[in-house]
Amino acid sequence: MPSWIIWLLPAFPLAGFLINALAVRNGRTAGLVASASVGAAFVVAIAATVMLAGLPEEARRFGFVLWEWIRIGGFVVPFGLMIDPLSAVMALLITGVGGLIHIYSIGYMAHDNRPVRYFAALNLFVFSMLMLVLADNLLLMFLGWEGVGLCSFLLIGHYFERKSVPPGIVPAEASIKAFVVNRIGDAGLLLAMMLIVSRVGTLTFYGDTGSATPGFLARLPELTGAQIAIGELGNLNVGLAVGLLILLGVAGKSAQIPLFTWLPDAMAGPTPVSALIHAATMVTAGVYLMARTHTLFEVSDAAAWATGIGVATALVGALAAVTQFDIKRMLAYSTISQLGFMVAAVGMGGFVAGMFHLLTHGLFKALLFLAAGAIIHGTHETQDMRKMGGLRAALPMTFRLWAVGALAISGIFPLAGFWSKDEILGHAWFEAQNVGAALALVFASAITAFYMGRASALIFAGKRRDTSYEPHDPEPSMRWPMVILAAGAVIGGLLNIPGLHWLSTWLEPVLNEPEVVFTTERIIGQVVLALVATGLSAGMAYLGWWLYARKLPQLITVGKEDPAHYYLGDLWQGAEIGWGFDYVYTNYIARSYRGTARFLSQVVDRGAIDGVLVGGTARLLSGISRGLRAAQNGYVRNYALIFLGGVILLILGIAMRGV
Amino acid sequence: MIPTSYYVALSAVLFGIGVIGVLTRRNTLVVFMSIELMLNAGNLSLVAFAFARQDLAGQMMVFFTIVVAAAEVAVGLALLVQIFRTRATTNIDDVNLLKG
Repeated sequence: MPSWIIWLLPAFPLAGFLINALAVRNGRTAGLVASASVGAAFVVAIAATVMLAGLPEEARRFGFVLWEWIRIGGFVVPFGLMIDPLSAVMALLITGVGGLIHIYSIGYMAHDNRPVRYFAALNLFVFSMLMLVLADNLLLMFLGWEGVGLCSFLLIGHYFERKSVPPGIVPAEASIKAFVVNRIGDAGLLLAMMLIVSRVGTLTFYGDTGSATPGFLARLPELTGAQIAIGELGNLNVGLAVGLLILLGVAGKSAQIPLFTWLPDAMAGPTPVSALIHAATMVTAGVYLMARTHTLFEVSDAAAWATGIGVATALVGALAAVTQFDIKRMLAYSTISQLGFMVAAVGMGGFVAGMFHLLTHGLFKALLFLAAGAIIHGTHETQDMRKMGGLRAALPMTFRLWAVGALAISGIFPLAGFWSKDEILGHAWFEAQNVGAALALVFASAITAFYMGRASALIFAGKRRDTSYEPHDPEPSMRWPMVILAAGAVIGGLLNIPGLHWLSTWLEPVLNEPEVVFTTERIIGQVVLALVATGLSAGMAYLGWWLYARKLPQLITVGKEDPAHYYLGDLWQGAEIGWGFDYVYTNYIARSYRGTARFLSQVVDRGAIDGVLVGGTARLLSGISRGLRAAQNGYVRNYALIFLGGVILLILGIAMRGV
Repeated sequence: MIPTSYYVALSAVLFGIGVIGVLTRRNTLVVFMSIELMLNAGNLSLVAFAFARQDLAGQMMVFFTIVVAAAEVAVGLALLVQIFRTRATTNIDDVNLLKG
């Protein structure tokens, strides 16, 4: 097969977007067009992966440049895509999980006001995401990066006409917040690109898809060998600067400290959007980018920063998730925490482990979000877990699917989450020798199990706390995508199961991660670690379930605080509001900015520009014209008189001159 | 023979009557007639000067004026009819839509 077929990958969702945006008026048709286009892209992704597998291992990469995008002197940016094993797994995840969520959305959005807009944006998202992972240079990747940001903005604000959605988020504001917070990260990424261009002069990753010169990843010594002066503070290594700036971009897109605050609010969008964009794919773009530029992180100290940020995010996210009562907000903090796992893994050099967790997380978190969507859908838009309880009997199918997802994310053997989380922990402990990080991550995964147990108990166990609605299980078009994802969440661990290591073998040409030598000692260590971590997780999961299903359920009332709040007080409250990051940003950064903006808009814009410059000119002209208007009184006779006077003056003038 | 100055004086008087008619009368038809009067005052002096100078150019000019006046009458009367139909008035002061 020719190499241009990779262009079919983004072309199908783009076509779906154009058809939906321009031609389709019916919601169901839009859903079918959107699902079919992503399904077609999935088939192409499989074909491209098969093609890749047919190539010899060291040459597993092909690309196709459509045209030269930018040429400024020696700086050339091709408009080209390429696929290698890393892009291939991402493309499979995006189109596979994306396709399932598209199908699920047909049922979920059946009663929506704007299904066509929704599906068009969803298609555009898949297109942008595929451009992001398939781009052969950083600038084209940035195009996709911004494209997914735009779609995220559009879909978070899908209910823009609503003043408030549970739990008290304003969708229009949440979408703007997501966009603005992401811009901070984007600024970092842009600066990183400028630094790379100024030092190396190219943005292509590997130089072999279009130009003869090697890409910047092959010329890293030019970056790490140079210093950049930063005023009084002395010099900074360019490689480190680029790494940190990329890390800033990652923190924005992948919701890491300090830029994670947009993700909990992003839950204002429809639930399938939360599943696809804010859990399975878009937020993993940062992890993908770090894996793509892994050589940079291998040679610079930015990796240590990534580890620190990742571990901190994993803890902060997990602890915040414990305290949430809104089902989607709980899952959002859980996503933040799991992304922290991935970033920490990648920071410690465990690129395969990070990618493995990215894939399994994509499966089970999408499943959890879709199950949450089924619960919300089946309980008539109830999102507050205090209003649930006892749904196990009413939603048996949803309960089973949710349970699979919850056990998978808790890392219970032998589900997908167990294998990938265990690989991260093992990498942290043995390969990276970072005991502190490993222990923190073990703790975070135990907390993960606890909050999943708590949430499951709150939703499904005990008696119904609110009987004002009639719950029902989802229809087949929503059920089957969840069943497939649940199957993935069960067997996903096979991808990189110890002994076979399909994923590490597959990614080896890209990531070049040194093969782990499994000595007896290492195996025993890994098994002990796995036993401890999983035992801890299982215990915490049971504790969470037991506390909220057996011990405390009578203390949980609609609209009241969690009983644990009584014991933990401010600590609980702090976790509930996301550790005050939002508070600090609102009061110390946004407030001064808003003050400046208000001054500029009220005084400078309305007063000086509108009032004096624009309004003044208008008032001056209208004053002059008011005076002149008196002459135009509409009486023909007056005009004739003036005309006569003019003629007389003219004749007099001629007569005088004649004299 | 009547001196040319008499003709010119008559022409001036006719023109003056026309001007006063245009400026003072409100009836559109009278205004229109006054305009015609002014045109013919002009014609009269042209003919008078042509005779005095024995030059046919002045007489030719009058023919042109008459042709133009005829055309003007056609257009002007059509306008008057239309104004009367739409506004049911012949008072020129009522037609003041272009007032600024």
